[in-house]
Amino acid sequence: MIRGRRRVGWGAWLVLGPFFVFGVAFEVLPILTLVRSSFSTEDGWTLANFGRAFTPMMIASFRNSLQLSAVTAFLGVVGGTVVAYAIVTARRRFVRDALTALADVTANFGGAPLAFAFIITLGSTGVVTLLLKAVGVSLYPSFRIYSVSGLTIAYLYFQLPLMILLIVPALLGLRQEWREAATNLGATRAQYWLRVALPILAPSLLGSFLLLFANAFGAYATAWTLTGPDVNLVTVQIAALVRGEVQLDPTLADALALVSLGVMTACVVGYRWLATRPWRATP
Amino acid sequence: MKGRAAWRILMLGLFLAFMLGPILATVLFSVSIRWDRTIWPEGFTLRWWQAVTARSAFQDTLLNSLAVAAATVAVSVALVTPTAYWAHLRAPRAKPWIEFLAIVPFGLPGVVLALGLIRFYSGVPLPLINTPAILVAAYVVLTLPFMYRPLVSALEAVDARTLTEAAQSLGADEWQTLVRAILPNILPGVVNGSLLVFSTVFAEFTLANLLIGTRFKTFPIYLVEFTRFDARQASALAVISFLVAWLASVFIIWLVGRGEGPRETLAAR
Repeated sequence: MIRGRRRVGWGAWLVLGPFFVFGVAFEVLPILTLVRSSFSTEDGWTLANFGRAFTPMMIASFRNSLQLSAVTAFLGVVGGTVVAYAIVTARRRFVRDALTALADVTANFGGAPLAFAFIITLGSTGVVTLLLKAVGVSLYPSFRIYSVSGLTIAYLYFQLPLMILLIVPALLGLRQEWREAATNLGATRAQYWLRVALPILAPSLLGSFLLLFANAFGAYATAWTLTGPDVNLVTVQIAALVRGEVQLDPTLADALALVSLGVMTACVVGYRWLATRPWRATP
Repeated sequence: MKGRAAWRILMLGLFLAFMLGPILATVLFSVSIRWDRTIWPEGFTLRWWQAVTARSAFQDTLLNSLAVAAATVAVSVALVTPTAYWAHLRAPRAKPWIEFLAIVPFGLPGVVLALGLIRFYSGVPLPLINTPAILVAAYVVLTLPFMYRPLVSALEAVDARTLTEAAQSLGADEWQTLVRAILPNILPGVVNGSLLVFSTVFAEFTLANLLIGTRFKTFPIYLVEFTRFDARQASALAVISFLVAWLASVFIIWLVGRGEGPRETLAAR
């Protein structure tokens, strides 16, 4: 008989207490504060703050953020799946291990140092820019790393390895027998992919897309280091309001923060739902 | 078959070039005398490394970041380990709530967490605003998924229930069971989580910038300041950042071994 079983009620709270106190103090209450202040004025509950928050500039920032997130998540899903497939079907074990390790390491490279590495590589006097100029291709001024298209490239740097890490287990779950069965029934390669493999992978692909989308939508450090205030993103706007660079209107920032929190939450909930469904095809 | 092999080499080659190119360029740039007019550096030097590491601000910010990262790891381990163990074994009903708190940070942009913390703690009479303490607290929240997931995996892998029963049948109390029987067995999970937390916090810019900014400069803040006025010295700082993240990752990979599937890796963007 385990000692202490009888004390579960109080004992449990003594152990779990600090964690929940911490979680409430630094996670739940700050979020609830934003919820309350976005929905209220001195007179009571209202939705007016959201109306005020959506000035043309803020709408533009949401459009930019949503677009950047969608584009980098889409390119990340497609590119990451193709590279991941090339990795898992590589014949040499060394190649598979080394490239998975590379994805593992680079998924953790992000933020300021990464943005700076891209300035050095693709900036106006960047290494690749100079190299291309030498062979007669001038990137500038039609392309700028300090712009939305530059950000797209920089974001892909962390989206691609994340996608590879997310999709490799699903690709490994594709059984050789399924392919053989399809081939025996007369399916071509394209038919196998379209009718067998992709439907099986679909939940994983969609879930990964949502996670990559959230990953890009909440990003700030990379965008700020690379473009400063030049590119109008939601996180850049919120940060400017936090630092008080723009006119002081607390509820405005709170309403913006709450809407972006809503976008992120929807993505993460969708991802969790897709990842934990009982009837998914890959274990 | 030959066509498929070529296709694979092309794909993997492009991927390698894209992932390694910017890193190698930064490393080379940091030891170049000048590399903004010619396609190859105009000679090599360690001048920028010497200049940037000799500054007192370099040592201060590096120490600040190491201290904040170490403090975050300590708080996170102390807070999450007993909780994960207890919920796993004794209070499964608390598990969904713990998991909820550990998943929310995934959907919580740094700027939103910073704003919420500032709003709430400027309204209560606690001396937390603008202190490194609130930064550490924010980092513990931000990295909760990184600490919680490896711990739960480790607990599931070692059969914590049998270990607990064995320890207690030998007369160990709850605390002894956790520290002397469970902890040594889930140590790889604890170290794995700690390294993820450490490397994430070390490179984090957003919360550091918004919560305390210039009052307590961390390494990434110093780096971003430098990118605005001296690219060559900034490149040396970026290389140091990559090195820390790389070392932590390599250590985790070595620790976890192969075939573990995806890790939760949403670092500081």
